[in-house]
Amino acid sequence: MEWETSWIDHDYDDGKKETKAFDSYLELSDEECKENNLISIDLVLPDDLLERILAYLPLASIFKAGCVCKKWNEIIRSRRFLWNISTILGPKPWYFMFTSSDEPVGHVYDPMVPKWYSFELPDIGISSWFIASSCGLVCFMDNDSRSELYVFNPITKSRKKLKEPPDSKFSDYSTLAMSVDRSSHSYTVTVIRSNQAPGDFIQWDLSLHVYYSETMTWVSHVAETLTGWRGGDDSVICGGLLYFLVHSTRGMGWTGNRHGLVSYNLSGQSSGDALINSFIPVPCPLTCGRLMNLKDKLVMVGGIGRKDRLGIIKGIGIWVLNGRDWEEVSRMPHKFFQGFGELDDVFASSGSNDFIYIQSYGGPALAVFDMHLKQWKWSQKCPVTKRFPLQLYSGFCFEPRFEVSP
Amino acid sequence: MSLSPSTSKMLSLKSSDGKVLEVEEHVAVLCETIKSLVEDGCADSPIPLANVDGATLGNVMEWCKKHADQKASADDLEDWDAEFVERDQGELYHLIMAANYLNIKGLLDLICQKVADMIKGKHPEKIREIFNIENDFTPEQQEQIRKDNSWAFE
Repeated sequence: MEWETSWIDHDYDDGKKETKAFDSYLELSDEECKENNLISIDLVLPDDLLERILAYLPLASIFKAGCVCKKWNEIIRSRRFLWNISTILGPKPWYFMFTSSDEPVGHVYDPMVPKWYSFELPDIGISSWFIASSCGLVCFMDNDSRSELYVFNPITKSRKKLKEPPDSKFSDYSTLAMSVDRSSHSYTVTVIRSNQAPGDFIQWDLSLHVYYSETMTWVSHVAETLTGWRGGDDSVICGGLLYFLVHSTRGMGWTGNRHGLVSYNLSGQSSGDALINSFIPVPCPLTCGRLMNLKDKLVMVGGIGRKDRLGIIKGIGIWVLNGRDWEEVSRMPHKFFQGFGELDDVFASSGSNDFIYIQSYGGPALAVFDMHLKQWKWSQKCPVTKRFPLQLYSGFCFEPRFEVSP
Repeated sequence: MSLSPSTSKMLSLKSSDGKVLEVEEHVAVLCETIKSLVEDGCADSPIPLANVDGATLGNVMEWCKKHADQKASADDLEDWDAEFVERDQGELYHLIMAANYLNIKGLLDLICQKVADMIKGKHPEKIREIFNIENDFTPEQQEQIRKDNSWAFE
């Protein structure tokens, strides 16, 4: 037996060597073919045109191009180049998919190629996160204490730990949002906390804290008590307003909508006005409602629930808020919905610019909706391996940008 | 070049190697450089194009003619462009420089994209080979660059 095994091993090794030899032979003959046409691109083209060509590459290819020679490396590291490609790549957000949040590794999807890469986020030693992202930056808040916050750029890996927000005692519900100013690159991070008022099921205390990168300080904006509603775990900043979903706290007898949208003007002009006055009901019974800022339009993705059977959804919809009205943009086609496992009412979704990613928690399938083309697509299959049956998947999208740092 | 049924005015373009090409004005003005000459009224005599050789100028005008054609559909142009860029590297570089000099954004984008496609997805060794570029990194420097963004080198 042993003899046989070693035979097989030997055979296998040999095979590998042969393939390698064959490869390099192929490359050689390739080169010979081009011998009579060997003009070095570096000698012919001026730098600005070479730079223009490299700017057409997807990000992974740009990094590889930086490895070709010193001149190419200099080009792709120049500020001007990084600025230019960010304006090309930025509009096509990437999706980071992870299965376990114990370690900051997962796969990242570049829709431009399209391809998945195994990818590492900066290691910040947090195992369970709240996530918000805007214009190339991502903000993480830890789930345990909800007071440790980091802002980082996943592409350049630069990162910063924020000061602890005030009033950082544990809360029943928390939600994180961030917004980067596209010209100054200063950013704002918001944390909303909701706590049940002592001895009362209906009343919830809500507080809002805002971090300003320019002054590196937190400012507490609102402390208000909501009656019949509580804050949830989703919020987004869009056009200077902070929007968040509220959930009904009334019992089963309540026949009205169980979710609504509340907004707060971050410039503070409307202070004094009760939050609940901005209330806008959601368009239908909703599960997994997610808010996103797509080109300064407030967009909501959610499972369309059945009134009679909570927890079962009949589809996934996308709406855009016009004034105080929701306008349905699209509904996930049935074959996509089936691909998710129809009965699964939980899914993750996030979006930026013209793209919305929707992913079922139960598997690595990732659907992409293009708001501009009004088109649904599946991403390439993510190479992640399922290690146990009930493994959960999640993710978030971010813009690949070099020029923004925390 | 024969006269087209339209009564478009003809322009003479003179290449760096002294060849003169007669081109309809509505085709030639796809080159922003020529367009501004026409608008400034400086396009009467043969227009000297000192940076473009005759063969390349012919190719550029072939592209402009196709793209000035109002009847061509977007799909049609896309197929035609895909065929147009099937050239050897030398010709592509000349076209890039001509499109840059004559300021034809559509053509410049097309050829740059074509060359980028030749780079896309390839490993540095292969890129050096295709474009005849010498590796001037030390193995240590090379390793460091790879390590910094290892995900891209999978």
